[in-house]
Amino acid sequence: MEFTLLWAAATGVALALLIAQVEKRWGLIPSETGSLSDLIVGAAVAGLLTGRLAAMIITGTNPLTHPADILIVRGGVDTGFASLGALTFVAVAARRNLPPTIDALGPPALAGLAGWHAGCLYRGACLGTGSSLPWAVAQEGSNVARHPVEIYAALLFLAAAALVLWWLRRGVRWVGAAGATALGMAGAIRLATESMRPSLGPGPVGWYLAAIATGIIGIVGARARARSLPR
Amino acid sequence: MRTFCLVVASTVAAVALTGCGAGDSQPIGSPLPPTDAAEVLALLESTTQPVIINVWASWCIPCRSEAPLLERAHAQFGDDVRFLGVNVADTQDGARRFIAEFGLSFENLFDAPRSVPAALGGSGVPLTYFFAPGGELVHFQPGVIDERTLALQLDELLQRRGGS
Repeated sequence: MEFTLLWAAATGVALALLIAQVEKRWGLIPSETGSLSDLIVGAAVAGLLTGRLAAMIITGTNPLTHPADILIVRGGVDTGFASLGALTFVAVAARRNLPPTIDALGPPALAGLAGWHAGCLYRGACLGTGSSLPWAVAQEGSNVARHPVEIYAALLFLAAAALVLWWLRRGVRWVGAAGATALGMAGAIRLATESMRPSLGPGPVGWYLAAIATGIIGIVGARARARSLPR
Repeated sequence: MRTFCLVVASTVAAVALTGCGAGDSQPIGSPLPPTDAAEVLALLESTTQPVIINVWASWCIPCRSEAPLLERAHAQFGDDVRFLGVNVADTQDGARRFIAEFGLSFENLFDAPRSVPAALGGSGVPLTYFFAPGGELVHFQPGVIDERTLALQLDELLQRRGGS
């Protein structure tokens, strides 16, 4: 059986937990938030499950009549529904203290996505569309050089995680803005690299645009909320 | 923990509501033509098109996952790439039901004794082979294939053809 996707997911969760530990050491996690690690693991499981179920339904397989298919993660995980599942989990689990919690979750989530994309190295699936750039890589036995697109994505996600972490350490004036920025950046990074990913369709571009829009709305909302609070 | 259970329960309930329509009641088609290793190897040597061979069985759970993906790829690239399904270790009834359930429109052949994968190299199901024109093996994917790998290898086949 094929477990490389699960290894990629495990790498993502491990990186997210590592950044959460760094935040804990630096005192960036609000005391009311509780365990950030539980939230990360719960969101990852909820995202994977929702994304897999959605992929099955979209391709016409009924999960109730074929429950074992749920475990065949490589058969497909719908990116948009996976993100929605993870975000819904966080929204419900952290509902009493949502804005500061999503701020604290921003860097681990971005680092987790970096790990998920870097997981392409386990399964030999880092390459994208053809390229003549000097660092383009050809697959074994081929003379067609390609963008190592998943490595680009992993590096961009890591840089984004570092940026939001740095912002949190400096102090976020608009509570919730760092989390919203992380969401918008995640959508933007996926959108920027999507054209370099070979796929059978246009890809989940609508979901990426929705993430960017939600991020912008979140930042504006955080700013408005901060201004409405008495100083 | 209670929240997590609530989210999982809601997801399962949503799935139950949306998935109820998917049934297994499609009519089944005509028997699959039998084949063997010699016939498939001859086909590969003589072909002027890239060929994707997918080895599957109706009882194989991962084969169910990739069947819709292969059908989608066939709908998109079927004019440029020949898609060939080889049903192994199965019954004609099981194979026909599977093809009807997923609405597979590409060519499928019946190889109960598994002579084709034995000749191509590979065991178990599913197996997917990507061949350039003339029968050169470009990529072999043991186990279930995901969309990215399928799209990448299709692109590789088409780019090689375009470049040669």
